[in-house]
Amino acid sequence: MSGQPLLLLRDAHRDYPHSGEPVHAVRGVSLDITQGEYVAIIGPSGCGKSTLLNLLGAIDRPTKGSVTIGATAVSTLPDKAATHFRLTNIGFVFQRFYLLPVLTAQENVELPMAEAKVPATERRSRARELLGYVGLAARADHRPAELSGGEQQRVAIARALANRPIVLLADEPTGELDARTGGDVIALFDRLNRDGMTIVVVTHDEKLAGAARRVIHMLDGRIVRDEPLLRRA
Amino acid sequence: MRFQLAALSLRRHASRTLLAVLGVAVSAAMLLDMVMLATGMRQSFATLLGRNGFTIRVSPRGTLPFDTEATIAQARDATITMQRIAGVTAVAPVLGTTIHVLGGPNPVTAFALGVDPAVQGDYELLEGREPVADALVASDALLRATGARIGDTLDVAIGFDPQIRTYTGRRRVVICGRARFTYLSADDRAAALPLASVQAMGGPDRSDRVSLFMVRTAPNVDPEATRLAIERALPRVTALSTAGAIAEAEHRLSYFRQLAFILGAVSLIVGFLLVTTIVTVSVNERIGEIAIMRAIGVSRSHVVHQIVIEGIGLSLTGAAAGLILGVFTARWLNSILRGFPGLPDAIDFFLFQPNSAFRALALLVASGVAAGIYPAWRAASLPISATLREEAVG
Amino acid sequence: MAPWEAAVRTIAIDQRLAADAGLRVGDLVVLAAEPGRANGDTVRIAAIVQRRADPSEVARSEYRIRMHLDQLQRIVGYGDRVDRFAIATAGGAAADSALRRINSVAFGFRAYPSREIAVETSKTFVVVSRFHRAIGMITIVASATFLLCIMLLKVDERRRDVAAMRLMGISRATVVRTVILESSFVALLGSLFGVGLGFVTSALVNAHYQAVYRTPLRFAIVTPGTVAYSVLLSLVLGIGAGALAARRLARTAPLTLFGR
Repeated sequence: MSGQPLLLLRDAHRDYPHSGEPVHAVRGVSLDITQGEYVAIIGPSGCGKSTLLNLLGAIDRPTKGSVTIGATAVSTLPDKAATHFRLTNIGFVFQRFYLLPVLTAQENVELPMAEAKVPATERRSRARELLGYVGLAARADHRPAELSGGEQQRVAIARALANRPIVLLADEPTGELDARTGGDVIALFDRLNRDGMTIVVVTHDEKLAGAARRVIHMLDGRIVRDEPLLRRA
Repeated sequence: MRFQLAALSLRRHASRTLLAVLGVAVSAAMLLDMVMLATGMRQSFATLLGRNGFTIRVSPRGTLPFDTEATIAQARDATITMQRIAGVTAVAPVLGTTIHVLGGPNPVTAFALGVDPAVQGDYELLEGREPVADALVASDALLRATGARIGDTLDVAIGFDPQIRTYTGRRRVVICGRARFTYLSADDRAAALPLASVQAMGGPDRSDRVSLFMVRTAPNVDPEATRLAIERALPRVTALSTAGAIAEAEHRLSYFRQLAFILGAVSLIVGFLLVTTIVTVSVNERIGEIAIMRAIGVSRSHVVHQIVIEGIGLSLTGAAAGLILGVFTARWLNSILRGFPGLPDAIDFFLFQPNSAFRALALLVASGVAAGIYPAWRAASLPISATLREEAVG
Repeated sequence: MAPWEAAVRTIAIDQRLAADAGLRVGDLVVLAAEPGRANGDTVRIAAIVQRRADPSEVARSEYRIRMHLDQLQRIVGYGDRVDRFAIATAGGAAADSALRRINSVAFGFRAYPSREIAVETSKTFVVVSRFHRAIGMITIVASATFLLCIMLLKVDERRRDVAAMRLMGISRATVVRTVILESSFVALLGSLFGVGLGFVTSALVNAHYQAVYRTPLRFAIVTPGTVAYSVLLSLVLGIGAGALAARRLARTAPLTLFGR
């Protein structure tokens, strides 16, 4: 684990207009995440943890403050550049998987590589490799409707890894899964982190939070507790 | 991958896509038919008028050719006057009248043209020879009606006096040929005789008179200038160039051109609306997917391209089907309009001209592109995080 | 008034001629059988008449004048001849008996009832009528396709609502009835709007073509029968499309509608 901060938030605020009054989803959050860390962000519903994740993933921009990933100040990037940055540097996993139902598992994994103009043969072989990594090589030609929830989420993780991102962000990745399949996903994240991937997860799942090496507690848009190097059970 | 995604998205709701393609096809067929109608009449009329090289028609002043029973007096002098005008290479006199073919149980009435066979432009000889004195060429319809053949002799009269129930201007003529009459329909009973014969049969009323002159001009001569020269030299006539005749016909048939324009525009709008609606609904159903694609790094333009490709796919497939459908419906509609009494065989209302047809269909496809752009751009521009949140809640 | 003016006979001309030639009531004009003839008959314009709404005259650009029969016969050298007589009778039976009587004593001519002449001279309009019907059929097919497509889309958009209703225990029949009721309402509203649009459009068509052809003829007429036919057809199409779409939706399992 390198000591260099990979993700930097400095005094980040995010406000949303709501019925004429601004909602302060994130209030003055400063955060450093170094390369190779495995961070879990937890807190009650509406505390701003998903919003924080979106800021970290350059999906959203802070109303005030800055977000830096690697050497890039993503909070000031224009949309096109931010999109490209996400494509090549960030891997995103969502609670509801969001695989494209018309594509097979393999094609879903290939999608970000196609966008990054990776040649077809190369992206096909990498997609197979990634599906093998998540244990779904045999299901490559199946459509999402033919996969279980856990399998779909693992395909989504493989898709997130397609362009070799520098960080993997996951928003409630086990939220739609039962305990057993959720456990498979937790194990996968653990393996990824051991292989060097920087991971930030937002979760209500205690088991997932317990698997992380650092837990950040949020409440009302602020970080109220930050427990690095959480002892594993 | 965009084409693959677009094709798969269209296949996802196959019945909906099929219906949309069918709707676009009907719009395309209607658009094509209206383009054919708008250009067909003019084109086929121009072809008909220019067929024998006559560029000017001369008729009694204030009338159009064969619009009334008026005739031009002193036809010989008028012919000489016109032949002297620079640029005129031939003057073909025509006297139109009705003849009655006697001898059978019932007289057969036919339309007869008195012509100069050496310069005539009214018929095409299919069999036999050109008529000389006391001979005529007949249309197939007249031959059928009289049961006669080439070589037979007919007892014809040019008039009927109802007061004394007597046929006037009788003469025995030999059928010397069979002809197709250019400006008449195939069902018309028609005959052509030498002008002098018809004038003689018509008595003093028709002596030295014609209904019409057809004038041929040299290739490098401006027909309009010649037309004006004829009207100046002969104040008692109206000279009409081919362009003028077409304009007059278009004025009389302007209703069809305007109908073609309106229905064509409506077809285009309907096709556009259909594709817009399909694409909009399809995009609205996939807002979540689109937000995800944007979240994982797919650019806005890629999303727009993919959706526009879907719109193009619908329009292109519909246009192709519409082309085939349009040709068939045009034939049907043409067959209806060809029922106009007295319409020359050579006139078609619906004429397929590849350039015009493909331009019209290209316009439809272009409207399909435009139809997809706005909903696609709107969807691709939605804030990603807010959309994901709404889709998660939904 | 000059003495010679007392002997001048009068004619009536149509509005088109009056407008194009700049003539007014009271003007003197010369009538002749051939153009350029100097010694024709001098006549006074006594009236300007409106053309009849005769479809057969619509596309023709000719002018009409009315003059005394004997004067016209003399000018064109027709002698004591006419082209036809028009006979008015007291009614149907009187017309038939007059027809029979005339034809039995006619010497060299024949009498026809007016409607027979009308049919014979209406062949052009029969063709136009058939053409319009054909265009109408194509339009109906296009509209039906479009309608079905839109209904399917609109009903499809509501599938989550329908899924929720079905999961709550509401029956398929109720769902179908609800959708059909909605589509009936939309079809009815659309029909009424269409009728209004039809009235407006026909008024515009008449105004336009009456100006173009300078005729009082009405080119488009909206009759109660036309309205009834159109409304019925659009209701049938609209409700039919809604019913088809509703049945398709109701047949799909609720969880499938939710996308699971």
